[in-house]
Amino acid sequence: MSVPLKLIYHEEPTRSIDNDPRKAVIKPIVTYSNISKSYGDLHVLKNIDLNIAPGEKVALIGPSGSGKTTLARLLMTLEEPTSGTIEVDGEMLWHQRVKDKLVKANEKHLHQVRGNIGMVFQHFNLFPHMTILRNVMEAPRNVLGLSKEEAKQRAVTMLEQVGLAGKIDAYPAQLSGGQKQRVAIARALVMRPKVMLFDEPTSALDPELVGEVLEVIKAIAAEGEMAMLLITHEMEFARDVADRVLFFDQGRIIEQGPPKKIFNNPESERLQTFLSRFNRH
Amino acid sequence: MWFDILPSFWEGAKVTIELTLFSAVMAFFLAFAAGFGRLSKHKAVRILATTYVEVFRGTSLFVQLFWIYFALPLFGIMLPKMLAGVLALSLNAGAYGSEIVRSTIISVPKGQTEAAIALNMTPWQRTRLVILPQALVMMLPAFGNLIIEMLKGTALVSLVTLSDLTFVATVLNSSIMRPTEIFSVLLVIYFVISLPFTRGIRWIEHRLSAGRY
Amino acid sequence: MWSWEYTLEILPEILAALKITISATFVAFAVALVVGLILTLARRSAFKPLSLFAHGFVEFVRNTPLLVQLYFIFYVLPEHGLSLSPFVAGVVGLGLHYSTYLSEVYRGGIESIPPGQWEAAKALNFSPIDTWRKIILPQSIPPVIPVLGNYLITMFKETPVLSAITLVEIMQTAKMLGSHSFRYLEAFTIVGVMFLILSYSSSLMVRRLEVRLNLR
Repeated sequence: MSVPLKLIYHEEPTRSIDNDPRKAVIKPIVTYSNISKSYGDLHVLKNIDLNIAPGEKVALIGPSGSGKTTLARLLMTLEEPTSGTIEVDGEMLWHQRVKDKLVKANEKHLHQVRGNIGMVFQHFNLFPHMTILRNVMEAPRNVLGLSKEEAKQRAVTMLEQVGLAGKIDAYPAQLSGGQKQRVAIARALVMRPKVMLFDEPTSALDPELVGEVLEVIKAIAAEGEMAMLLITHEMEFARDVADRVLFFDQGRIIEQGPPKKIFNNPESERLQTFLSRFNRH
Repeated sequence: MWFDILPSFWEGAKVTIELTLFSAVMAFFLAFAAGFGRLSKHKAVRILATTYVEVFRGTSLFVQLFWIYFALPLFGIMLPKMLAGVLALSLNAGAYGSEIVRSTIISVPKGQTEAAIALNMTPWQRTRLVILPQALVMMLPAFGNLIIEMLKGTALVSLVTLSDLTFVATVLNSSIMRPTEIFSVLLVIYFVISLPFTRGIRWIEHRLSAGRY
Repeated sequence: MWSWEYTLEILPEILAALKITISATFVAFAVALVVGLILTLARRSAFKPLSLFAHGFVEFVRNTPLLVQLYFIFYVLPEHGLSLSPFVAGVVGLGLHYSTYLSEVYRGGIESIPPGQWEAAKALNFSPIDTWRKIILPQSIPPVIPVLGNYLITMFKETPVLSAITLVEIMQTAKMLGSHSFRYLEAFTIVGVMFLILSYSSSLMVRRLEVRLNLR
């Protein structure tokens, strides 16, 4: 078990469940219980417990290879946990009940629960054979079953929000990295997920393009309703946006708390070392 | 002399082109069935598809054609020449085509499937909307080459006396004994039939390398 | 329907013809290796007529049937004073046909050499011949060896076509045995199984070779 998990901190109240006095009444939107993931001998995640409240913005920081991305990929059903359970909005994600027995979820069950979650990838993963508009409207049309007009309407509104209404007929290859990532954000948002995962959304970008993407994410965060899991190396950004920051190292949550506490008063030595690397430049 | 031989060549060319097109359509279906079969979740399907592919790639069209035409009748299956030709050509090309289908599908980056999963597409939607459209474009040049190989392969049906271009040429040659003219013309005709395909492939390859991919 | 007795009776004869099939394969492969390399170099030649001719030759031969090319060599050349035995006509035809494929393979290998290698050779004042002999070919040929191996297998499988110009290899032997007894099933099946076993096992060897080359 990861002992440092229940670190006590007495800071100003935030939306975070783990330090919220009303803990008992708020039902988490995502619950990781005792989650482990290993590839052969490589243990990427070790007995993770984590609750995320509806609307909560959680930033994951930590050295690369510490398991942050895997945590998000398990929730997006891109990878299966080795052990433990994940619940989304009160429903088991990787398991389902058949006659009182917990069995591995089938594709139908995954499909049903997965609809609550959206993801933005480090390498955008836009569909190169579709225009920007089709990239964004394809899933509402085919997955949500909206009419063509409705899907288009929604997609255009969303593209306006990320500042790309002028590019709807372009193909991904014609856009800059920052524009591609903004399309990818719109594509995920248009599905109106309850939880959005951002997997290092600016790591593949040229430095001068990072700002525009972070601005868009900040604006979405400010709207509030959606829970967000942000994996990032942008400490400034994590401080501004997150309600709670988790520091990951070697497959465990080493320390967590409100951004002020994590960045101003890191307790563990590992977090202090990690942060000092960023403060130097 | 040319007045005598050109109409016969025309008749032969029609058979050759018919044979190529019929077989190409059938091979296309077989290629997809076997290509997807080899990627199937079910082991039995994979084994079946792999066996088909290895058997038909492990022997040549020549042997397959002769087997279908001469050996199958001993099982009571007597196929008309044209059907035997189409069957041999398409089974053979389908096996090679399945490799094209399989390799292009697995060459679509994994991130594409992941993005489709993140958008909650069903497995069939992922294939239909995301993977296939990208794979198909990559398949085109290879399928173009396969059709040229099939066109060349059709010459073998002359050996089971189906009256294609090559058969017509050998018959003409045995009656008028002008091999130089007849076989030169024959080679040129095959080359001309293949031209639209070679041009088409080049055009697609050019578009692919210059285009949005 | 299937007679094992008859199978055993004809098996030795077909096996004996395998010698012809295999020697035809290797001689034709040697022809293809050499002519293919010449075609590749000719296509890169600065002397325009030569590169155009090589290009046209490759295009024409690749897009016309091997069978017809064999007829051409076997029936047309004697008209002009060049009579070839079925074996020679066969290996020349098969070799020339596949030389056009091999020239593409060589070309791929050569084009994968980074431009820096050419520049380095120039900087070291290598003559063009030495640049090819010492720098370019030694780097471009080893990576394509598995592809060449696969073409060797393909050519092996194609040898039955040589029976059309009366070369008595295994397919022709099977045809003759079949027409004698009116039993084609056993003879053609033996030929098919023989090709399958030999080509499948050799393709596994090529795959192993490929893995080993990739590891290096």
